[in-house]
Amino acid sequence: MSSKFNTLEREKLFLNPSSNKFGYPELQKLVKPHIDSFNSLLDPPRQGLLNFAIDDIGTQEIFDKPNNSPERGNKLSIWIDDVIIAKPLLPESVRLTTSRQIYPSECRERLTTYAGKMSIKVCWQVNDGPVLAEYRPVGMLPIMVKSNRCNLQNLYPKQLIQHKEESEETGGYFIINGIEKMIRLLLIPRRHHVMALARSSFANRGANYTEYGVQIRCAKLDQTTVTNTMHYLKDGNCLIRFTWKKQEFMVPVLLIMKSLIEVTDKGIYDMLVQGEHLNTFLSDRVEFMLYNFKSYNVQSRDQCATLLGDKFRVTFSPPSYYTNKQVGDYVLNKVILVHLRTNKDKFNLLTFMIRKLYSLVAGECCQDNPDSPQNQEILLGGHLYGMIIKEKLSDYLNSIRAAVSMDVNAKKKVDFNDKKYMNSLLTKNNTEFVGQKLAYFLATGNLISNTGLDLMQTTGYTIIAEKINFFRFISHFRCVHRGSFFTTLKTTTVRKLLPEAWGFLCPVHTPDGTPCGLLNHLSHTCRVITETVKVNKIPEMLAELGVSINVLQQALSEGPPLCVQLDGKIIGYCTNRQAKIIANELRRRKFDKTKPIPLDLEIGYVPPSNGGQYPGIYLFSTPSRMMRPVKYLFNNKTDMIGSFEQVYMDIACLNEDIIKGVTTHQEFAPTNVLSILANLTPFSDCNQSPRNMYQCQMAKQTMGTPSTSLRYRTDNKLYRLQTGQSPIVRSGLYNTLGFDGFVSGTNAIVAVISYTGYDMEDAMIINKSAHERGFAYGTIYKSEIVDLNDERERGEPIKHHFSLGEDASPAWREKLSNDGLPLIGVKLTNGDPLCAYYDDTTKVTKIKKYKGTEDAYVEEVRLIGDDAGKEEVQKVHIKLRVPRPSVIGDKFASRHGQKGVLSQLYPQVDMPFTESGMQPDIIINPHAFPSRMTIGMFVESLAGKSGALYGVAQDCTPFKFNENDTAVDYFGKQLVRAGYNYHGNEPMYSGITGEEFQADIYIGVVYYQRLRHMVSDKWQVRSTGPVHNLTMQPIGGRKKSGGIRFGEMERDSLLAHGMSFCLQDRLMNCSDYSQCHLCSKCGTIFTALISKEHETRNDVKYKKHHMICKICDTSKYISLIKIPFAFRYLATELASMGIKITLESKY
Amino acid sequence: MDLFSPANKPEIRIQELTGERIRFILTNTDLSMANALRRIMISEVATIAIDMVQFDLNTSVLADEFIAHRLGLIPLDSTEADKIKYPRDCNCSGACKECSVELNLHVKCTEEDTTKDVTSKDLVSHDPRFTPITEGPKDAGILIAKLRKGQEIKVKCIAKKGVAKEHAKWSPCAAVAFEYDPFNKLRHTHYWIEEDEKKEWPQSKNANDDFPPLDDEIFDFTAKPNRFYFEIETIGSMKPEDIVMNAFKKLLEKISSIQMGLHSNDVPINGREPTRDVF
Repeated sequence: MSSKFNTLEREKLFLNPSSNKFGYPELQKLVKPHIDSFNSLLDPPRQGLLNFAIDDIGTQEIFDKPNNSPERGNKLSIWIDDVIIAKPLLPESVRLTTSRQIYPSECRERLTTYAGKMSIKVCWQVNDGPVLAEYRPVGMLPIMVKSNRCNLQNLYPKQLIQHKEESEETGGYFIINGIEKMIRLLLIPRRHHVMALARSSFANRGANYTEYGVQIRCAKLDQTTVTNTMHYLKDGNCLIRFTWKKQEFMVPVLLIMKSLIEVTDKGIYDMLVQGEHLNTFLSDRVEFMLYNFKSYNVQSRDQCATLLGDKFRVTFSPPSYYTNKQVGDYVLNKVILVHLRTNKDKFNLLTFMIRKLYSLVAGECCQDNPDSPQNQEILLGGHLYGMIIKEKLSDYLNSIRAAVSMDVNAKKKVDFNDKKYMNSLLTKNNTEFVGQKLAYFLATGNLISNTGLDLMQTTGYTIIAEKINFFRFISHFRCVHRGSFFTTLKTTTVRKLLPEAWGFLCPVHTPDGTPCGLLNHLSHTCRVITETVKVNKIPEMLAELGVSINVLQQALSEGPPLCVQLDGKIIGYCTNRQAKIIANELRRRKFDKTKPIPLDLEIGYVPPSNGGQYPGIYLFSTPSRMMRPVKYLFNNKTDMIGSFEQVYMDIACLNEDIIKGVTTHQEFAPTNVLSILANLTPFSDCNQSPRNMYQCQMAKQTMGTPSTSLRYRTDNKLYRLQTGQSPIVRSGLYNTLGFDGFVSGTNAIVAVISYTGYDMEDAMIINKSAHERGFAYGTIYKSEIVDLNDERERGEPIKHHFSLGEDASPAWREKLSNDGLPLIGVKLTNGDPLCAYYDDTTKVTKIKKYKGTEDAYVEEVRLIGDDAGKEEVQKVHIKLRVPRPSVIGDKFASRHGQKGVLSQLYPQVDMPFTESGMQPDIIINPHAFPSRMTIGMFVESLAGKSGALYGVAQDCTPFKFNENDTAVDYFGKQLVRAGYNYHGNEPMYSGITGEEFQADIYIGVVYYQRLRHMVSDKWQVRSTGPVHNLTMQPIGGRKKSGGIRFGEMERDSLLAHGMSFCLQDRLMNCSDYSQCHLCSKCGTIFTALISKEHETRNDVKYKKHHMICKICDTSKYISLIKIPFAFRYLATELASMGIKITLESKY
Repeated sequence: MDLFSPANKPEIRIQELTGERIRFILTNTDLSMANALRRIMISEVATIAIDMVQFDLNTSVLADEFIAHRLGLIPLDSTEADKIKYPRDCNCSGACKECSVELNLHVKCTEEDTTKDVTSKDLVSHDPRFTPITEGPKDAGILIAKLRKGQEIKVKCIAKKGVAKEHAKWSPCAAVAFEYDPFNKLRHTHYWIEEDEKKEWPQSKNANDDFPPLDDEIFDFTAKPNRFYFEIETIGSMKPEDIVMNAFKKLLEKISSIQMGLHSNDVPINGREPTRDVF
């Protein structure tokens, strides 16, 4: 079971990067949902999400007469006909270059935004005149790296390297001001599925409300959604709730139904009861609802729509000439079940919703769990991006309308045929309105929207794709958040790990602490569907399989009919027996070439049950769903299954789990349920589970290789391990994803022994000689940016120039060269000049000082010119290198959640040694194991040892061994063959005395990670220093050279020890010690003032320097006392409220 | 056991001697002496190693300190290390011929398409006695850095004499194997055995040179270890036998300085504190 180092293959890839394929294609797939969702904005041409969006925005109709005037005046119809997003290019005004393309690396280095020019085609028509069109720029839209609008699209390692990228660059992020930003994946309710809910918040809505309701999230083609909720009232009535521009509205469901199609009460009754005449619970309520609706006194569809339109005319502000009926239709079109095209479909789905709601109330079906991945999908970055763009475009048209009506109301001249006027209308808006808004969105993660986009949060949509190491970077793209709303929730139910998440969300890879369970990671095989699946043939096929549009009366004897839905559209009904056959047949046809059903179609068959989920066949084909590959046992091919259908499927994990006749599918590997990082933990199946969680956290904090194109990176802070090694013990996925390109640790010889006491309490001893030979030697790269533009007002001419004038001191010349910039490789200590510039007005050379506390070396200096390349350079980026050899107090960890702090660098001669002369690099204490039970670490040690002895890589993929064929035996036998002890023990000798230890010692090779937490960043010390100006107490915070709080509990312990002097010292003398005058007669500390009296001695007037109490008018009782300044502050605050503090003094 | 009686002279039996390793058995001495020999070989045999690096030019991708560190770890031929003074014993202020060796490295890559390897062979020593070691003419040398076209490294290195106590780069040996009592007759240790000792504990190779315990052997709890199996592997800067010999010399020096110290302690010279320098 040995793995491979693939050293030569890697060398080949490195020397001859391919120009037509990636070395590690699996790595590219991990980021695909991000890129594909962005691509779908304008791809396929004319059918991208933005094309659908402008269709949905539609035409604005504007009139040049006021609303209330009798005649309408001229009509201006204006609409957006097309959206164009260009690849990032230099503006045409720049003439100094042959190539106009801008590549991401340039934006990173220049600290600018990677954006392409976006323009829209605005068309307008006056009355029925000719259609006029104009292309209008709407700003520079940030472009996702490696998307179809990126200049890196379809490039392969060779070209990527030419463009200063990682050879296996994955893309999927944006570059905003040189910072890599990405839109986080978000879990949101599954679209087009009616969910039964019971929430106490529903009952709190009003007197008549109950906790019951059903909800459906409906998506339009452009991926914007509208949620419709149906509430159940105590009297059996149902209300539909929807949101329009953040306002909620409730409408009786019958009003909606009746305004959708022409239907009689009997028709509605039949549709709702569906032949279940014996179900009096259902029929009673339907009857009551119909009876109750009489009070509205509307019968026909026209009447209903008119009533609806009348009520919503003001809020929806449709074109003023619309009749009430047209307004009613407009409302139905905009907010009711927007995913359905025809009113008949909407009506049908509403009947289904009512039936499901009644069934929920009657207790026939259970509520759906909104926290379960079964009922969730993923909000993809690209889709959200498109939604925001859509809203901004719609705002643009609205603003034109608003501008016209303002002009009309102000009685200004409004002439739509006047070119000048039209031009002023179109340019009224800021020309950057889309680009700027989206750059702001990406930079801050704040969503500014007037519709709320049917989302639950307004902040936290984007994060920085940090490159602390490659694991952290790639994990960002696989992480899904539940939504920031849920972080504030007190209940822990949303955080639960549910069985439905199996295979989709990793059970291991979630942080501990506040975001636990809310921040999950996709399993490494989980895909998020981004393309729309072709399903137009499916209704036909279903009809052929026995689904009928009407409920068949003769079938009712087999129990209530099951509803068959495709993406929330009711296709028809069938019997339960038929449903099972249909579901099986559909799945079989996924592999039938003659009757193709797309592989990504989700076939959710919910069988009838006693109080379980509402039965039916639910087919899903839309994007944003989570799907994963499993083996279809019928033909051993790969089937894709979704999180909805999985719950009702029989999927075996291992061979022995297969039950003949029941099991239909099997996992390809048990590790498929794990995320990337969880997969990399060696033998994680041998560990106690929380340790694997800790390791997932720590892997993301290790100092490793963040990037292979370090030269072209300008990150604020980069951690780098200079002497990283490829792990001897690695899992299969490690090779598949090519993580050897980004090593993050060292194979260390680790002895588990209690030696010298320096390994107590999770501390570890490192061999001093190993340290001197470069063990875990790290470097930090820091960025310093000097921008001379900050020194002058905007618009002023340039008067600062980077240079070292003749007046510069010789000390500066040691660090800076004549151009005022630091010499490469020069060492900077605190206070040294970072760069110098000459000020034209004052005629002096000024410097910027290096303010870091640590010595640093200048690694690179980058001159950043202005965008047009015309002005003198005013901005430089200086990359500094801070060497960080490991020192006592630095943090290390194995890959098993076993972290420890370096406590001593122990000389090699004093370290224990084995008979072959081996001396450990690291000593850890045996006490680290009994309670933590990280047996995986022991196994890794064994595997590493034998791997090192034989010179092979060892495969540590979990679940490869079992109780009968144990890993320990496998590696133990290898060790015995190499002449070592079966258990991995070796007799060891004390390095100091040369005596053999009484016990043999467990020693082997473990891959150790150096974590980025280092004492150099954490030490804090203070004797005196800055104080808070209100309380005069020392301030906190390491940066401000503050103190560490000596809090209540610390005070308690001093009290308990009786250390009153120490207490006095900490809380008074070293804190806010102050003196003041107390008048013990009146007991106040404020009344003592310096007396203004004078006394005359020898004809000279002296000021009387004594304190006198203004109230008691005597200085007799005044004494100087010591108080904490905070007490004086308290006394003043109280005094300001008219409360007097009186001190009783004994002397 | 009286260590100093002529009948109990320590003995060495060399079992294997190649260019890079030596195997011997040390007998008739006690554990402290044997371990002292081991410790001295690892940490106190003086060698020459690059200690100071002055960068005139470095346009390679590697940082100055990183290259300096790599240079320091390159083994230099230290056979005649005793001909050179310790820097602290030298009267000069910085570095002179008495106490240091200058090596220069100047490589520039001019080739198109390929990288140029900077190796220890490019180090030019000012003193032919102290050069980077090579294993025959085919040896490519130790890789220091790789340069692409236009990159250049020009450094001046000062090599000094030192011991591994100070920095690992001065250690002449890679590992020192040390064992006594392969059969655990002294019962210093306790083997962890689950089922079968023979299966779980393969015998040490030194077991062939030791006397296996007799079946009816009675445990002698007064017995002391007196057969020590050594194996020393050099990193190349010294011949393995030289490491051992130098270590013995050092050991002798130490013992004699202790002896001197003990004697001088009886009568303080000039009423002053006796010198505590054990070196």
